[in-house]
Amino acid sequence: MRTYIPVIRASFMVGLIYRFGFIFSIIGNIVYLGVAYYLWKSIYGSATTLNGLTFNETFLYVGLGSSIFILLKTYADWLIHHEIQQGTIAVYLTKPINYQLYALSTNFGAMLMNLATITIPTALMLIFVFHVKVAPGAGLFLFPISLFMAFLISFSFDFLVGLMSFYSESVWGISTTKEIIITVLSGALIPLQFFPAAIQKVLFWLPFQAIYHTPLMMITKADLGLQTFLPMLLVQLGWTIALFILSRLFYNQAIKVLRIAGG
Amino acid sequence: MRRTLGEYLRLYFIIETQYIKARMQYRVDFIVSSIGMFFSSLATLGVFWVILQTVPNLAGWSLMEMVFIYAFYMIAISPMQIIFDHAWQIRYHVQQGTFLKYYFRPLNMMFYYMSEMFDIKGLTQFALGIALLIYASIQLHIDWTLTRFMLLLMTLFSAALVQISIVVSAACSAFWVTNSFPVLGLAWRLREFSPYPMTIFDGAFRFTFTYVIPIGFVAFYPSQLFLRPSEVSSLIYFSPFIGIGFFALTYWIWTKGVNSYTGTGS
Repeated sequence: MRTYIPVIRASFMVGLIYRFGFIFSIIGNIVYLGVAYYLWKSIYGSATTLNGLTFNETFLYVGLGSSIFILLKTYADWLIHHEIQQGTIAVYLTKPINYQLYALSTNFGAMLMNLATITIPTALMLIFVFHVKVAPGAGLFLFPISLFMAFLISFSFDFLVGLMSFYSESVWGISTTKEIIITVLSGALIPLQFFPAAIQKVLFWLPFQAIYHTPLMMITKADLGLQTFLPMLLVQLGWTIALFILSRLFYNQAIKVLRIAGG
Repeated sequence: MRRTLGEYLRLYFIIETQYIKARMQYRVDFIVSSIGMFFSSLATLGVFWVILQTVPNLAGWSLMEMVFIYAFYMIAISPMQIIFDHAWQIRYHVQQGTFLKYYFRPLNMMFYYMSEMFDIKGLTQFALGIALLIYASIQLHIDWTLTRFMLLLMTLFSAALVQISIVVSAACSAFWVTNSFPVLGLAWRLREFSPYPMTIFDGAFRFTFTYVIPIGFVAFYPSQLFLRPSEVSSLIYFSPFIGIGFFALTYWIWTKGVNSYTGTGS
């Protein structure tokens, strides 16, 4: 662990260089919140609840989803692709570190920076500008744990896709496809409750719902109680471990085909 | 040195044939990217579909009408994707200093710069947009008279210019701030709101999307002309001026940018 703390710190500091970028990300989020507000307002019309969610709950779900989006988008796929193309990945292979944990630490540092500069301001905006109400409950305490596991799952997906660069030049296509599948099927854009019942059944068997839906539910329906949240957390934990091991195994395979031009 | 439009078109054709030949070496990349493009172009439509499973319409617009608006949007953003995709790389060229080479050709700089890339995967989006537009037109029984067809071409042309202007002017910020990625990211997110029915917004949002960053003209306002001619606002008849005006503004920003660029000194 001690090996990786400086890596986390360094990537946290790198974030500071791009201070200018935060402003645009926050503006982007505010515009998104505004658009989502009007969109869902018009969808709800005079209805108080749709699919078991009130307007306040849906807007909280979607708005919070947009504020944690930056945390759960790790860019690990692009980073690995870049390092394979440039050949710089060889540097890590000669050091006594684990590349998967190294990549994870880099992303974790960047995530902490984004949390402080983008997610928290956006979440505050949600409460103070859009007057979203959060019901107190057990979910609020479980949310950070759930969010952390969501980050690990999202990282594993990005890492897996990045490893495909060992075999293919075409990272754009694979990465974009992954991105769309995750955002649409995970609840990042629209609460999963809105999907038709048959599709919902399938979605709950897939790992994507563990990325957005699980942590978002902890806040939107915080008062549901432990008997609802504990099974959800267990499923999330299962996916976290399974995907982490899967990406480690894939990494061990992929590294064997690596060829880097000399020089 | 002045060249005629014909000469530019001929040049563009020659440059892009060579470019496509070179890209064809990466056939797998083309196929995989096209699949990625297919999914990413349909994502927002998928969201509309899910919403319309619960409520019968979106601010009064049925699913098929939304498909029409969305198809219009897909066609309108295609020229930006296909012809102006190199805009995304301005920040790299500015940072690395390779932007200098674009000053040394007897060609219009924007033409020369943008001609270096022709995004083949964008054609997937374009084709998909046309297919959906035809499908929705048949389902909605839209009567395509010659006048309407001319109006369609005119509004599409203007919508494409608005979209190009938004992205290119965001990319031009690289000349002043080097890393234009956050600005481009914002422009990209705004783009995704253009197929939303503008009637759901009010106040500052409606004003901004109509007059300041006119994404309403990328799909919604022009589509109204074909779907509900009676509800159309008279603003739409200014649409060609909005498109051309915004492009002229963008060209002015570009010129300012390239004139202020000083290289990296190496």
